[in-house]
Amino acid sequence: MNIKNQGPAFYCNVLAAILGIAGVILTIVSSTMTVDNALPNITVLAVAGIIGVILVAVAAYLPNRRGNSDLISAAAVLGAIALYMYTLGGAAIQRVMLIAGLFSYNANNTAGWNIFYVSVAAWVCLLVGIVFLIIGSFTKSVKETA
Amino acid sequence: MEKKKRKALWRGLSSLMCFILAFSILLGNILEANAGTIDTYLGTLSEVTVSENTEENPLYDKFAPPAELLNEDGTGNSTALIQAAMDLNRREVAEGAVLLKNDNNVLPLSSGSNVTLLGIRSHVNLLGSSFGVKAQGPYISLEQALSQNRTDFANTITTTQNTNATSREVATSVNKTMESWTGEEFDFEGAGFNVNPTMVEIYDKLNETYNHANNENAEEVYNPGEPSVEEIAAVNGSYQDSFAQYGDAAIVVLGRPSAESKDFLPGGIAEGLDFEHDEPLSLTQNELDAVELAKQCSDKVIVLISSSSSVEIGTLKNDPEVDAIMWIGAPGCYGMLGVADILCGRVSPSGGLFDIFTTYNMSAPAMQNMGKMYYTNTAEEITRTGGVLGFVPGAYTIEAEGIYVGYRYYETRYYDAVAGTGNATDPTGAYASTTEWNYDNEVTYGFGYGMSYTDFSFAFEGEPQFDISTDPETGAPNAYATFNVRVTNTGDVAGKTPVQIYGQAPYTPGGVEKSAIQLLNFEKSSELQPGESEVIPVKVDLQYIASYDETYDNGDGTTGTYIMDPGDYYFSVGNGAHDALNHIMAAQGMDATRMVGAGNAQQAYMVNITEDFISKTMFSVSKTGYPIHNQLPYADWNYYQPGEVTYLSRTDWAGTYPKSYDAMTLTNEELINNLNGKTYTLQTSDDTSDIVWGADNGIQFYEMYGVPYDDPKWDQLLDQLTLEEAMYIFSFGGPSIPGADSIGTVETYMTENAGNGIAVALNASKDPNAPWAIPASDVNGSWHPEVFANAPIGASTFNPELMYELGVFTGIESLFTGINILWGPGLNTHRHAYNGRNGEYYSEDPVLSGVAAMEFAIGALEYGLVAAPKHFAFNDQESERGGVSPYMTEQRAREVELRAYQIAFEATKYDTEEYDAGMRGLMTSFSKIGSIECTTSEGLMTEILANEWGFIGYAVTDIYDDVDLWTAVLNSGTTCFDTRGQSGFYGATTLESSNLFQNLIEGVGLNAHLIDGDANLQLKLKDAVHKNIYAWTESHLMNRYNATTHTESQMTWWRATYYAVGGISAVLMVASAAMYVLSSKGKKK
Repeated sequence: MNIKNQGPAFYCNVLAAILGIAGVILTIVSSTMTVDNALPNITVLAVAGIIGVILVAVAAYLPNRRGNSDLISAAAVLGAIALYMYTLGGAAIQRVMLIAGLFSYNANNTAGWNIFYVSVAAWVCLLVGIVFLIIGSFTKSVKETA
Repeated sequence: MEKKKRKALWRGLSSLMCFILAFSILLGNILEANAGTIDTYLGTLSEVTVSENTEENPLYDKFAPPAELLNEDGTGNSTALIQAAMDLNRREVAEGAVLLKNDNNVLPLSSGSNVTLLGIRSHVNLLGSSFGVKAQGPYISLEQALSQNRTDFANTITTTQNTNATSREVATSVNKTMESWTGEEFDFEGAGFNVNPTMVEIYDKLNETYNHANNENAEEVYNPGEPSVEEIAAVNGSYQDSFAQYGDAAIVVLGRPSAESKDFLPGGIAEGLDFEHDEPLSLTQNELDAVELAKQCSDKVIVLISSSSSVEIGTLKNDPEVDAIMWIGAPGCYGMLGVADILCGRVSPSGGLFDIFTTYNMSAPAMQNMGKMYYTNTAEEITRTGGVLGFVPGAYTIEAEGIYVGYRYYETRYYDAVAGTGNATDPTGAYASTTEWNYDNEVTYGFGYGMSYTDFSFAFEGEPQFDISTDPETGAPNAYATFNVRVTNTGDVAGKTPVQIYGQAPYTPGGVEKSAIQLLNFEKSSELQPGESEVIPVKVDLQYIASYDETYDNGDGTTGTYIMDPGDYYFSVGNGAHDALNHIMAAQGMDATRMVGAGNAQQAYMVNITEDFISKTMFSVSKTGYPIHNQLPYADWNYYQPGEVTYLSRTDWAGTYPKSYDAMTLTNEELINNLNGKTYTLQTSDDTSDIVWGADNGIQFYEMYGVPYDDPKWDQLLDQLTLEEAMYIFSFGGPSIPGADSIGTVETYMTENAGNGIAVALNASKDPNAPWAIPASDVNGSWHPEVFANAPIGASTFNPELMYELGVFTGIESLFTGINILWGPGLNTHRHAYNGRNGEYYSEDPVLSGVAAMEFAIGALEYGLVAAPKHFAFNDQESERGGVSPYMTEQRAREVELRAYQIAFEATKYDTEEYDAGMRGLMTSFSKIGSIECTTSEGLMTEILANEWGFIGYAVTDIYDDVDLWTAVLNSGTTCFDTRGQSGFYGATTLESSNLFQNLIEGVGLNAHLIDGDANLQLKLKDAVHKNIYAWTESHLMNRYNATTHTESQMTWWRATYYAVGGISAVLMVASAAMYVLSSKGKKK
């Protein structure tokens, strides 16, 4: 794999993978900050996120072997988007009541605010990662010689 | 090249559509998971309970709104409903506002007066709380009430301060409580004044930066946000020119907010505002300057105090240029009409103060121990976490003031000061003087005090009638004294007046602590014309003049009970506690020259109570016949670590005046274990074979309407439940009825806040199939019934009938909104003025609070609404409210805080031979009682609440509270958890899947087999579920239940939106992907 031969999608996918890793790590951190606010399905969410990252890596690598029109890498991007969203959404659903409390009757919940900030950081990472995946899918993964 | 671009486009679009599809699925999941809440806020109906009306099991035949609120065809009349709410809120405030000063009879003002309103609160009226008892929707402002005759609801919608705001240095965010009002406008009779438009415009401009709202909250560092004179001048330099035209009177409005979650704190003031006493409830220089402006404007200066706590207004009282002061509370959406009625003389004021107003709130002994205090060794000893709400472990407060809360302290110390006993005049505890403690200096206006535009005389009509007996079987006491009070209007205008009966029990220095004066009961006169009189009987339950002696040896191995010391008992009728005490002191022949105010011995009555008349231990048995003894030993710090706390005693005011216990250290093992939640041991191998679950007795829930609680049919119904269903009802049955197939319940959302109306808009009714349901298409469909005043206004009416009426109307509101359990009213006592939530609670006095709540609840139940007062108990501050440990004596607990609940729950006034009246619901407190969570206290929840008071009903925790103590909560007698957001999942939440119950103190997660081996908990579970279901059957929920009841999903707009977005994006994703595949294949080909 010649780095000079990589197209915009490759770089988008690399960024998406990095952001995915960060998102998964932050999701895990948000779940371990207090025992009372642990995400009950954190294992599933983390595994989903990690598989998503692997799919992104596949999407970044395969076009070097199979060209820009590779169906597997295109499908991998779709899978990664779905899995990133699953990790993001699975955590977000569990945080709705915490966040509702922070913005109303429980604004003094310092631990809750910390979880909120880390969670938001995780969601931003995953969401921006998805945006990169979408942008990348509009572009070439490898430069094509005429 | 073009083909390549197209291929990339298809690939990109398929990715984009994949994201939109995933996003819509996520959104859908979030919306569905919170459908109940979303329905309430958006006015949608995603799920409805549907039943077929049959001849055998007719629907909507048990509770119905009164005919005057219905159209001829039986549908709801929103116009009549809103008009009725306006009228009631108006009367509530007209009777609850308290006139404190009226020199030279400056009030009332004549019709047509040209008045100037000053103070930014005159323009942005403080009507409710930013969270809790909020004033919702369109309202009538003070300006409108004074000068208009028709509402302008379309342009007058209440606003709420963002509760996260912590400083006014940066403008806080303010939101409307309703986007817009397109419903009807209403005519009203205003005061007929002309209001200075210049000042209105100035304050309107200033509020663009001050961002005041109609619903606000206390702040730990407080700034009332009153503009300076310079700021006023900067907006309009010639503003004073308008004073000449509008100088008939100047009305200044000053306010202090109240809402849940935050307190005022001692010394918690924003810098640079020059607070008069360096405390948040004292006035700032800008506020005092507003009063000075009023003096420049007019020779008639009237100050309105809008607050739910004592504001330090001694300066205004003593200022001869301030002619009138009136407290108006937080009056709700239409309450300014009541204020206007008083200002223009249409109504003569008749309220009495809900709390004592002191010169310095810090002089209350309770203030020595409030706020944020933590054990010195929390980190070493406290292992229990702060729970899902992130509460801070290790917070406590020592309530060393003992029974001397509010006026009980000031009046008792005053009595001893005049009597020359107990070192009462020692300067210890004095804030107004460094040389002596003097009542006149320390108190501005006494509890229960209030003026009128007319005068009244009070005289006992004959001897009181005593009705004393004991139930021969149970020993339950029946001891009442009825005082017939002749009230005569001796003034020139018509008016009402409270008739307050106070009492004094004989005190022996060194003996059981006793307040020198305490309210025993009250009534309110009818409107009396000048010269007219009436005799008003006031029935006093003598139990409330008994004292709780924690050391009394009951002779059966237990200690502590209520005692009536033999001796001279005094009763009096007066305009507040101080006046009543003066009458007693006059009757006792005390030195009049040392008294503050005059006493009239004729308004006092003495009776010598001997053992023959009322035995010393008559009240050692409750009205249910249950023996009373100490149940809350762990409330007292000294129980664990003796001698470390000194409680205030009138034997030595100076020597026992509380110090600040701000650095307590945990050393006692039992104390530490309790704080760590280790109060129940789960059994795993009990024989539970005798406990029946899952029987097939063929009884359905809907058949239980009207079945008495002790009817054997209940056992048959309960036996039908499976253990898991019962656990589910206990775990998730707080906010909604969980579906239980075995008894035919379907998941139904049933609860809402608050105490000042039901917090659900008409068009979001949970019972849309009711014949009277007001549809979304109704012009007034968006009307939100949470419109009434904060609780202190209701208390200050001293009018039981009006309190009942407020409950009745809320019950009617609940029929229109489909809510059958109300989390309210607030029923904690005002321990001090700094509790940010005082606006949700009635008063510092338990009798006033208890009667207000009882009347409200009984009135609400008439229309099938179960009122669940909160927070049982001891929520004495909002600071660290989650699990704070208030330590106190059991005497204090029973005679102050719990007495309010006792009156409400026993509801003796409404008992009949056939029916044991009482409240059917409550919400527990976040706080502990001493070292034990209230939710897990058997002494509180079972021994006192159920056994002594006979409470039968729904007892829910506060939101997500003590979920880790599931077994101990069940063991205590609490009947369900408030799992808002977790319930309403329509079957998606299971015992195992909820994240709330995964970290139990036992080290396991909740599961259906958790109590398989614990016979005690299984029996407690039956009892809890029984009480829950019984409460449901007492409510108007039964209107819509029969054999055909089921739920149906509805296509709301938000559901349709995410369905559509998801569907379209799925199709487009597949299409894009297909096009991408085809174009790829095409290239290969």
